[in-house]
Amino acid sequence: MREQTTPRIFTSDLRDERAAALLGVALGVTFTVCFATGVLSHLIQDPPSWFQWPSRPAGLYRVTQGVHVATGLASIPLLLAKLWVVLPKLFAWPPFTSVAHLVERLAIFPLVAGGVFELFTGLADTHLWYPWPFNFRAAHYWVAWITIGALVVHLGAKWATTRAALFAGNSSTDAAAAPTATTSAFDRRTFLATVFAAAGAVTVFTVGQTVSPLRKLALLAPRRPDTGPQGFPVNRTAATAGVVDAARSPGFRLLVDGKVRRKLAFTRDELRAMPQHEATLPISCVEGWSTTQRWRGVRVRDLLDRAGAESGAEVRVHSLQRRRAYRFSDLNRWHAHDPDTLLALEVNGEPLGIDHGYPLRLIGPNRPGVMQTKWVTRLVVR
Amino acid sequence: MSPPRYGSSFWIALPIGAAVMVFGAIGLIGDLGVGGGVEVGGWLVGADVAHDFVLAPLACLVGAAVARALPRWCRAPTQAALVTSGVLLIVVFPALRGFGRDQVPDNPSVQPLDYTTATLTALALVWAAAGVWLLARLATAGRGRRRPRTRATPGGHPMSQR
Repeated sequence: MREQTTPRIFTSDLRDERAAALLGVALGVTFTVCFATGVLSHLIQDPPSWFQWPSRPAGLYRVTQGVHVATGLASIPLLLAKLWVVLPKLFAWPPFTSVAHLVERLAIFPLVAGGVFELFTGLADTHLWYPWPFNFRAAHYWVAWITIGALVVHLGAKWATTRAALFAGNSSTDAAAAPTATTSAFDRRTFLATVFAAAGAVTVFTVGQTVSPLRKLALLAPRRPDTGPQGFPVNRTAATAGVVDAARSPGFRLLVDGKVRRKLAFTRDELRAMPQHEATLPISCVEGWSTTQRWRGVRVRDLLDRAGAESGAEVRVHSLQRRRAYRFSDLNRWHAHDPDTLLALEVNGEPLGIDHGYPLRLIGPNRPGVMQTKWVTRLVVR
Repeated sequence: MSPPRYGSSFWIALPIGAAVMVFGAIGLIGDLGVGGGVEVGGWLVGADVAHDFVLAPLACLVGAAVARALPRWCRAPTQAALVTSGVLLIVVFPALRGFGRDQVPDNPSVQPLDYTTATLTALALVWAAAGVWLLARLATAGRGRRRPRTRATPGGHPMSQR
């Protein structure tokens, strides 16, 4: 077989197999965690028949989605460093030396392109920035599958090399990076430490958007858990959703219908006169911020009992919003009957503000923020 | 470079990975249609080109320039601070430019900070850490040992002079 050569312009001796292997292992971990938590979030929002997301523990989604966004952000320096280490291989000549080598290199395109695409679109989404023409969620989700498939191929191709590079000890591979041969003051350990420190810095300066005690350090995060109307963020305001008039209308009613013995309609005052329940629950946005608030309102299960719904009933919660995919959300039987699943009228002792869903919003344990429907006007029992 | 060799792990992983990729491509076209799939494909190529032929060469040029321009005694901390600063700027650039915020003008809870000040503060912390590391290196250099002070290298690594 012929040998490949890489252009001599690449002089840094930091680009060795051991650095590539260590960064590859780190990326393998972060990409796998990101993929698993992302697929989970997708299943929760669009559950197939075989999948039922529980309502407990209340903060579980907050953790999985916080981890999703944090590992994605931390992957940015890892991926850039890894690609920098292997960059000379892009220009190696001849481009391939065997059929297997050709196949392996072809699979690197979806890996690199998919990896960069996922990290860029994910970062932009946390800022609610959508500079592309396609639906973010569908593209981010399906490209994740393509990327992970390419990662599987890459792992298979590099398994032996990676093992050898990782477990070779400090003899041969270290000699190549030894300071005697180096032209820079930057040896491999310093380089890798820098990359991991950069990943740590990204985390420190953004994770406060979901880990409240660190919120003052969230200098580079698009959200602060303590900033917004009534002291916490909103994704969609009432004006943007086009519900201001309908929400403030004196004719507002909450309807409970569908598979019930009695169809019910409530004014806001009638709801206030019902037994009120208080729950301290997180609102956990898909975009990665989260914050715990004290909510007060009517239990969904109390409304279901009054309407005479069956004990295992599921509920579709409709908003006043006319457009958009999230104008309704579904409560499976666990969520519908959880004692903390509320139609909230108050937050932190104040009447719910209009941007947080006045006259009433759904708030329940262990749900993505987009499924905590605001400006609720109708429960359809199913 | 010796030619790569492929063991059984490659031939096992190849069909599995290929099937997962095909699943993703079919799902993409199923949700977004052929036109949407082509748009995403264009962005995938764009992401690859933007990295391989813009960002990576730029990083190499800056790295090479810094390595030549800086004296050896301060090179490592400076390079480390530059790398970290670059990554932080990538993470914050939509907020610095107001991208996203401009699409929801009535929502002040999106990008609520003055990101110029916030970014400069974060970078100041990074460079301060690099400065501490540099001082520690200089302080220990006289004893014939240099101990890079970073979180990720417990124990450090003795480096020779050359």
